[in-house]
Amino acid sequence: MSSTEQGTSSAAPAEPTTAPESAAAPEVPESFYYVHGKDKVVHKVSAGALQHSALIHGMISNLGYTEEQAKANPFPFENIDGDILQMVVDWCNQHKGKPTPPEDTNLPKQKEKLFDLVLAVNYLEIKELLTYCCKQVAMMVKGKSPEEIREIWMIPTDAEDEAAEKEAKKRAGKEAAGETAAAAGDAK
Amino acid sequence: MIITEMPEPVLDKIIEFSDFKAVLTLRQVCRDFLNFIDDLNDSKLPDSKLLTFGIRSDYTENNVIVCFMGPDDSFYRFVYSEVEKSRSFNGKTTNLKDEDIVDVAIRDLERILKFQKSTFQWSCFNIHQLFRRPKFPNLEVKLSNMFRKLNRKIKTEILDIMAYSQVGFMSILPFVDPETLKRLRLFSMNKTVRIEMNEIAETEQWKNAKSIYCYFYALKVTVDDICHFSNVFIKMLYISARVLDFLRETITSCSNIDFSRFKFEIPNENEEMSNLWGHAFITAYLGFTNYSWYFRMKNSKEKILLAEIRPTRTKTNICFENIESREVPNGAIVHDFKGNTILLW
Repeated sequence: MSSTEQGTSSAAPAEPTTAPESAAAPEVPESFYYVHGKDKVVHKVSAGALQHSALIHGMISNLGYTEEQAKANPFPFENIDGDILQMVVDWCNQHKGKPTPPEDTNLPKQKEKLFDLVLAVNYLEIKELLTYCCKQVAMMVKGKSPEEIREIWMIPTDAEDEAAEKEAKKRAGKEAAGETAAAAGDAK
Repeated sequence: MIITEMPEPVLDKIIEFSDFKAVLTLRQVCRDFLNFIDDLNDSKLPDSKLLTFGIRSDYTENNVIVCFMGPDDSFYRFVYSEVEKSRSFNGKTTNLKDEDIVDVAIRDLERILKFQKSTFQWSCFNIHQLFRRPKFPNLEVKLSNMFRKLNRKIKTEILDIMAYSQVGFMSILPFVDPETLKRLRLFSMNKTVRIEMNEIAETEQWKNAKSIYCYFYALKVTVDDICHFSNVFIKMLYISARVLDFLRETITSCSNIDFSRFKFEIPNENEEMSNLWGHAFITAYLGFTNYSWYFRMKNSKEKILLAEIRPTRTKTNICFENIESREVPNGAIVHDFKGNTILLW
């Protein structure tokens, strides 16, 4: 392992990274940024890996953070679950500076996790990963009947959907009536 | 999270990675998918890559039949029955209640054609109906309206249309992509029917096609209308010796003509023709006499134009064919393209 690789891979998140003096050709030290999801766990990710995300790449370009500022201000993604953000970070690290393969078989097979990943990836604008995820979602139902698709993707039938909508309206109506009554009581 | 609530770019991508059968199935999953797919721009739909397509009005059974063949030899056949008021597909029959079966057939056809981006190898419109009592009188008009709404020309290499009038052919022909059309075949149920061709011959589709076949008596077709084809079969009521000689001269003297075979069928024997270009090379075939002449082509030592007249009891076939010089029989005279004769053997 080269000293450059050691320098970046062994650096603790709290320590400032420095360019190794023994490097044959002087290279620009890699900069790191910090992100966290709903669980507030901070992930340290290199700018190279984050380039996959058009959203984060844009934020980095606009903010012009120094290393210290970046560390003090992790990008908050409160709408993304911690385990999903971890998956995204891992994928970005694995594919840092590499051409993306035509397929990715390491995506979650479970429908809920895959859908959450799709939403996160779409939000973070990671084009290649979104392509893999959407392909996997499409493959889940290839050759299936409408009934089987409803079951796999847990889609209610139109009749069930209408019934649920009616029920929700009824409930909302009742709640509104309750609130009006309470408000009238307060006014008295 | 329900999939239909996903952001639009995500749903677009999922559709992009589904094949056309899967997208048609998704339409049936729920109303949200149906609306989303029907509102999608055609360019976002996957290519159905169908090879052949046909629509047929079967007036004896009171059916309209729509068929497709896929790249994997898959075959799709939709039968719309006027009597049963139903649509049958894949062993499943749907009651159409009070709906017009032609409307349903054309709506289904439009839905499928929206997916087709590849070129069909072959498309067939058999919309011929009994002239005096058409079973589906609006089929042609409704097809035209559907193509107009689709706003995209159908790409097909071979186009077959069976109709009973120029109007019938013209309800389809202008909606076919002239750049991809190679072979145009026009049929009529009654082979003795006479149909004017002047409007058809004016279309880009006619002018760009390589082959034309007319299996009825074509009226108002001029030599200029057919010279660009490499293959022709046309039934005509009459063809003069002057026109035939003009065609012979055009074919032999034009260096860039992509000629292969012109065949005409006229209803009766014409005695004059046996001496059309002087002494003919005579052969007998199935009890009938064949009259042949051979002409040298300009700019080609290898190619010979064979002009052949084959009278039978009920009709005369006139054929111009591009052959190799080695195919000229012994004893036959090869005329040069200016009209002088050269003895080949």
